[in-house]
Amino acid sequence: MKKHKWYFLSYRVLFLGICAVVLTAFFLTMLLAAFVRGEHFLLIPIIIGCVLAATGVWLAYIWVIRPYRRMEERMKLFLDGYTTSSMSNSEEAQMTPTSEMMTHKLEEIMSSAELLNINKRQAQYLALQNQINPHFLYNTLESIRSEALIAGLVSVADMTEALASFFRYTISNVENLVSVEEELQNCKTYFKIQQYRFGERLHLSIECKEEEKEEIYSYRLPKLTMQPILENSIIHGTECKIGTGHLKICLECTGKRLLIRISDDGVGMDAKTLADMNERLQKSAKAFSAKESETKGGIALVNVNNRIHLLFGEEYGLHVYSMPDVGTDVEITLPTIMSDREIKNENRNLAYGTSDL
Amino acid sequence: MKTETLRMERVTYKEQGNVCLDNFSMTIRTGEVFGLVPVNHYGLNSLLKLLKQNLPLHYGYVYYREKLVNQWKRHQNTTNRISVIQSKSCLAEDLSVADNIFVLRAGFKKWLIKPQVLQKQLQPFLEEIGMKIDANAYIDELSAFECFVVELLKAVVSGNRLIVLVDISTFISESELVKLHEIIRYYAGKGISFLYITAHFEEAKQRCDKTALMVNGQIIKCFETRENIPDTFSLESVEDYDRWVRQQLSATEENQNRQAVFETSRLYYGSMRDLNIRVFPGECMVLQDLDNKIFKDLIALFQGEKPDSGQILLQGNVFSSCEDRRIAIIQELPTESMLFPRMSYMDNLCFNMDHRFKRVWTTGGIRKSIINEYGDLLGKEVFQCKVEKLSQKQKYDLVYTRILLQNPKVVFCVQPFKSAEVSIRSHIWELLERFLDRNIAVVILAVNLADSLALADKLIRIKHGKVQEIYDKEEFIKLPVNTPWLYLYQEKYAKNE
Repeated sequence: MKKHKWYFLSYRVLFLGICAVVLTAFFLTMLLAAFVRGEHFLLIPIIIGCVLAATGVWLAYIWVIRPYRRMEERMKLFLDGYTTSSMSNSEEAQMTPTSEMMTHKLEEIMSSAELLNINKRQAQYLALQNQINPHFLYNTLESIRSEALIAGLVSVADMTEALASFFRYTISNVENLVSVEEELQNCKTYFKIQQYRFGERLHLSIECKEEEKEEIYSYRLPKLTMQPILENSIIHGTECKIGTGHLKICLECTGKRLLIRISDDGVGMDAKTLADMNERLQKSAKAFSAKESETKGGIALVNVNNRIHLLFGEEYGLHVYSMPDVGTDVEITLPTIMSDREIKNENRNLAYGTSDL
Repeated sequence: MKTETLRMERVTYKEQGNVCLDNFSMTIRTGEVFGLVPVNHYGLNSLLKLLKQNLPLHYGYVYYREKLVNQWKRHQNTTNRISVIQSKSCLAEDLSVADNIFVLRAGFKKWLIKPQVLQKQLQPFLEEIGMKIDANAYIDELSAFECFVVELLKAVVSGNRLIVLVDISTFISESELVKLHEIIRYYAGKGISFLYITAHFEEAKQRCDKTALMVNGQIIKCFETRENIPDTFSLESVEDYDRWVRQQLSATEENQNRQAVFETSRLYYGSMRDLNIRVFPGECMVLQDLDNKIFKDLIALFQGEKPDSGQILLQGNVFSSCEDRRIAIIQELPTESMLFPRMSYMDNLCFNMDHRFKRVWTTGGIRKSIINEYGDLLGKEVFQCKVEKLSQKQKYDLVYTRILLQNPKVVFCVQPFKSAEVSIRSHIWELLERFLDRNIAVVILAVNLADSLALADKLIRIKHGKVQEIYDKEEFIKLPVNTPWLYLYQEKYAKNE
């Protein structure tokens, strides 16, 4: 969309500068004329001059200084790693047309680079998919299952079935958005696999109001949103805990949001780790570019958070609450959408384009 | 489906470059009573400011009734229809109840005010919550609880959908809190949400649907009321508290066969009706007024008022003069009410010492001795500081050490833990314990029992101006309220029974 020239600070400064020069010249001419005519009553030209000067200062503040400060703030936040959309806010003024184009270009470059990082996990799955023919994998797993059944090893058969379902969901499904029900089913499958390892040491409960269940289960969300967080809760939360670990998935919706809380009563984390984790989730741009995130852990949360940001906007995402020896809650905030067409974020196409799951 | 009344999404708020709220996320649903326990007070005032007014954010989003009202990208400096009720009332004292509720309301545009009409309008509001307050009564004639109800009604009438209640248990008595709980639940049922800020997790758990813990300007964990908090609930400070109470429980001292240091006998004055209490040297007694009425009268007696009948005995003699330094009073919020910012630290410290050392103001030697003696305790650097520049902990040190230097026989502390954050509360215990170690009796005047019981040897509950129940330490287990550290008393005494 072509912007009006007054949208740019350079034009505003130029306009105000010309006005200031013209008015100063006019004022000086008036003063000179009054002086030449020998008039000593200069009050009116002075008052007019003061009013004009005050108006000029006010205009300069509203039109130039304030937008400039806002732009400066946005740039600082961007440099601090906050968001990728922070620099080009369509409602705020830009320096010059060229600087605006440069910002857009920068964002474009950032977006594609970010997406490469964001979808690293998916890319791994993709690589797996390319290397292994999914049907070969499923058929092999099915063969193992039937062999196990023939041999009377029911638990091995069940485990193989769960593993096949998990792989089928993870690497075969090409849609980006899935229903909450499908995602929950995958979580249950994943949990089933983990239970073979942990046995009675691990419990999972899913809480959802009965009257809202049907509606909530039909909402759409990015694929593999809950399972990586559940995996995190098991590995970092309950696995290190002595005794039984309880995992809970709470689903509820408010007017415009779907809230999913995945809780564990594991070891939790101290205040500093928690603050760092939330900062990484908040400063998504920093998380994209910083290499430390790969070594620090918690990549699953950052990954899920970034996908949500890209698909639905930065007002949605993840937030972590935790206390040492009490447990950790990860709250996922999503928009309540029933179909893929409702995604409004312009980055959607980019996300689709690169992930291609 | 419950809608959201307030949603703060990853809010980072700075004041003068300092981060006050850090990645703060909180959701309050319609008709929900949401508890907030600030472990330290860092960022609490900023939160209250942000709730009332949409100030510029460093980052984040604020939604009120599902509408975006504040965001980091742009701010409009608008106000939200949210009421904050705290111990300092914001009602106009010289106006009537009806005027406060209806006339001092945004959007009231009438030129002619008919008191009868306002009275009629107010009546249904009072009836539905089962309260009887005279619509024409002036605010300064009302009790603290009635003032609170008026503020609550004012918020309801103004159409505010979120009401913030800050530390209300410090000025509302226990019996009134029960009534208040019913009122809150009634309005919650009508879709009004409450943010209940309290210093005690037990209290929040008792009254709220959900409770969040706030540390250093961020919420670290939320608990649903129905959730069982694991036994490992071990906030650092709570561990300190537990250790403290255990120490107190193990320290037993017999007060029998000793002379009472302070005693009231059939005392009548103001709201007091036949008040008989007795405290021994080195004993810590908690005086809990269930109606929150007698404390002002009791303090007035120490400040020179004469009782209607009965007497106060101090070390066996009738207490007569307010200049008697054997009784000391530590007022409510002492760091604000008992310090003189224009006086130096030393002058503040030695303020009550002249009865012990006549030449304290003229001789530098005495003051030098004090600095030498108390330097290690208070910190050498504080003596050169301006009083207003001191930290909260240093201010408490100053007030309590001043009383220690006064060397009284009995100290009355009016709600010593009011508005103090967790670490400060723990420090106040240490300071009170210094009195007890010097065999000075401590009487804590409390409205609610949280914190106060930790040091107590005895609890006296007062209702309608006279002693209703007396509990010794081993009987705390029988208290009919949710006593903090009840489990510790149970551990010690239940086994014996």
